[in-house]
Amino acid sequence: MLKYIVKRMLQAIPVLLGVSVIVFLIMRVFSADPAPVVLGQHATPEAMQAWRDAQGLNDPIIAQYFDFLFGAIRGDLGESYYTHAPVLQELMARFPATVELALVAIVIAAVVGVALGVLSATHKNTAIDGIATVLALVGVSMPIFWLGVLLIILFAGVLHVLPSSGRIDPLLQPVGGTGFYLLDTLLSGDFEAFGDALSHIILPALALSMYSMAVITRMTRSSMLETLNEDYVRTARAKGLKLGRVHRHHALRCAMLPVTTVIGLQLGSLLGGAMLTETVFAWPGIGKYVVDCILKSDFPVVQGAVLLIGVIFIVINLIVDVVYAYLDPRITYAKEEG
Amino acid sequence: MSINAEISRRRFIEAMGAVSALGVLGLAGCGSQRASEAGSGSKTASGVADTITFAQGADPRGLDPAYVDDGESAKIICNIYDTLLRYDTETCEVVAGLSQMPEISDDGLTYTFNLQEGVKFHDGTDCDAEAVKASIERQLEPNRTEDMPYASFVFGAEDSGTGIESMETPDATTLVIKLRAASTPFIKNMAMTLAAPVVAPSAFEAGSSNEQPVGSGPYKFVSWSKGENVVLEANEDYWDKENAPKTKNVVFRFIAENSSRVTALTNGEVDIIDGIDASVVDTITQGGCELFDEDGMNINYMAFRTDNSQFTTVEARRAFCQAVNVEEMVKSLYGDYAGVATSVMPLWMAPYAEKVTRTAYDPDAAKAAFAELGITSCTMLTYTNPRPYNSVGGQALAEAIQGYLAKVGVDMEIVSYDWTTYKTKVETDAFDVCLSGWIGDNGDPDNFMNLLADENVSMNAARFRSEEYNALIKKGLETADGDERDDIYLQCEQMVADQMPWMLISHSKNLAGYSPKVKGFFYHPTGVVRMEGLTKSA
Repeated sequence: MLKYIVKRMLQAIPVLLGVSVIVFLIMRVFSADPAPVVLGQHATPEAMQAWRDAQGLNDPIIAQYFDFLFGAIRGDLGESYYTHAPVLQELMARFPATVELALVAIVIAAVVGVALGVLSATHKNTAIDGIATVLALVGVSMPIFWLGVLLIILFAGVLHVLPSSGRIDPLLQPVGGTGFYLLDTLLSGDFEAFGDALSHIILPALALSMYSMAVITRMTRSSMLETLNEDYVRTARAKGLKLGRVHRHHALRCAMLPVTTVIGLQLGSLLGGAMLTETVFAWPGIGKYVVDCILKSDFPVVQGAVLLIGVIFIVINLIVDVVYAYLDPRITYAKEEG
Repeated sequence: MSINAEISRRRFIEAMGAVSALGVLGLAGCGSQRASEAGSGSKTASGVADTITFAQGADPRGLDPAYVDDGESAKIICNIYDTLLRYDTETCEVVAGLSQMPEISDDGLTYTFNLQEGVKFHDGTDCDAEAVKASIERQLEPNRTEDMPYASFVFGAEDSGTGIESMETPDATTLVIKLRAASTPFIKNMAMTLAAPVVAPSAFEAGSSNEQPVGSGPYKFVSWSKGENVVLEANEDYWDKENAPKTKNVVFRFIAENSSRVTALTNGEVDIIDGIDASVVDTITQGGCELFDEDGMNINYMAFRTDNSQFTTVEARRAFCQAVNVEEMVKSLYGDYAGVATSVMPLWMAPYAEKVTRTAYDPDAAKAAFAELGITSCTMLTYTNPRPYNSVGGQALAEAIQGYLAKVGVDMEIVSYDWTTYKTKVETDAFDVCLSGWIGDNGDPDNFMNLLADENVSMNAARFRSEEYNALIKKGLETADGDERDDIYLQCEQMVADQMPWMLISHSKNLAGYSPKVKGFFYHPTGVVRMEGLTKSA
């Protein structure tokens, strides 16, 4: 197993190199000159030239790439052109918000999606199946930003029961700790703040979970239907086991294997930052920040963030594969014999 | 060998659970506290809320005034720091600040500032003449770095022969500044919220002033959660008792989406929002909130390329101006939230500019002139994004102008870019006309009129060159405020009206929404809100 993990880690190196080359070239070729944005409306051409020289933007592009690459290998992603803060610090300040939102969203998506999928499969061609299928279709089709705005209008604008934006009331905000407000407030026993953080995360998590929920529902339904037609399920029924028990203990377990993969991939995608959700709900995560930086041609931040997101995807995929092996007795990562 | 032979699935899940539990216990050790001891919506016994929340569109770029150039930073900075002088509450008239109004020598070169005694920075260090000198000196050559965007504007530059030549501190409360050349706007520069505010040397020497600001202003910095908020608390020991903060906590929240900011306001989550456009005005007022709409300090214009295009002659530019019904266009695009520009400066800033006579709308004359000049097509360069002076964005404005030109037989091609790219294209690409605009910095006429004398093409996209105009600008810079100076800028305005390097379009209003519970709100023309005078009923 350890050998397998090491092999996968080594395979990640060319992937990350490829990602770094692509993002570097895209930013250099297609982005606007950052100098006017950074130096402001009073900047003279001479000042802009001096700034470009100082940032190495007039060096050959190969030299610029290797500067970036060697810095990244040392853990130095450079400084934001715009704020002068270290890129890693800027990204890490926003990362907990993204992770917290992604985790809550994936939990909602997984719980509701699996439940709907199972119900749909076990009640095939009934009204329940129809409703679940329509919900899945709506979830896949509805743009997140539109759903987000609808949720805000209903729950904040009309009913006034939930906040429309942000992570927590700023005056209840935990300082220090992990940056995961739900966890920090819970561990410090500040239940008022915990409740406030929870009320803030409900709407964005719900909006963000819709697409994943729909995908999980569809996958669970098809996987469950396939499993229910297996011989061993029929045998279990034939030997007199109750239907519910067969569904829960025999069919669902096997049906969950492909669903696990989907959940893992969806989590990886959500951890990459949910730009639209973060923008609509003013959620201070990494997705919206990176988009802002693209518009400002803040090269170091965009390059650093894309590398970070690449690493996250690789790690999540690796974890999913490892977990998959533990969940499915048929899968091994053993050394090939002979 | 199969992994299942090594560890069973049950054991694996148990192990994962144990690791998670240990992780949680470990994290518990990190501990956390609240950003403030006051909770949400807490109020004092008198029924006055102790927190006011202001929602703006983005994070500040930084909190050290030397390193920022954006309005989002300025709104926070003006509450943390003091400036030597400050703007009057509602206008750009300059009044005493950290210093009394300065004594100015007859030649206009020496300014003597007498500072308030006993002022302390928030960290307890002295805010005396030496500290003020150090705060300015780091932004002067040779200490100045390229990432100080407003340093040369506020404090001048050696190669242009402007700004501060030297500073002396004869005693703890006296700062003597000697200029290289007389400059009337200098006094207004000292009230600006960019570059001019006085930063505690202890903070900038430690290199922490951009994220952990230390000033001497009415509010003290508490925390900055990136992407979320900045929290300030009242400086109980503020030296200026007349302007002492009335509300204990001030929170700046960052909500990018226009509609989300409006919902947050009407839902009671925030108390003040800005950066809004006319499309949300009804939602704000119907939601029971107040609307602030006062004339802003800006100009929305179209520049003719006067050096190398089809519009190098006054006749061609006049024909273009006659073709466009600016009044109708402004009303149609901006409704009641922008006024037709009849002068470069808004009239509230320069009432004398009302005397300027401009080219009137006359499509028949335009058609005849274009036919005579043989102009049948032209190219316009524009930005796409909404700008503070153009809330509908460059594309919509360009298309409106395109429609008017089509009526007089001129086919206008529109080439548009996002704002960042556009700024570069204006310098490098060929075009006949381009859309642009300006947001005033300090309320001085030179700040607007000087644009057409600037050799930097990113400032002077028209590439307008006129010895006569430049001489007037130079004279205006050196002349003390008064009728003589007003007359100089009136002449400048008339030259712009006659030679038309720009087609003036509109001056937009500053729009903000606020809760009816908030009292004392005023959005200053420089785009900031001083929070110390605000109160909010519970």
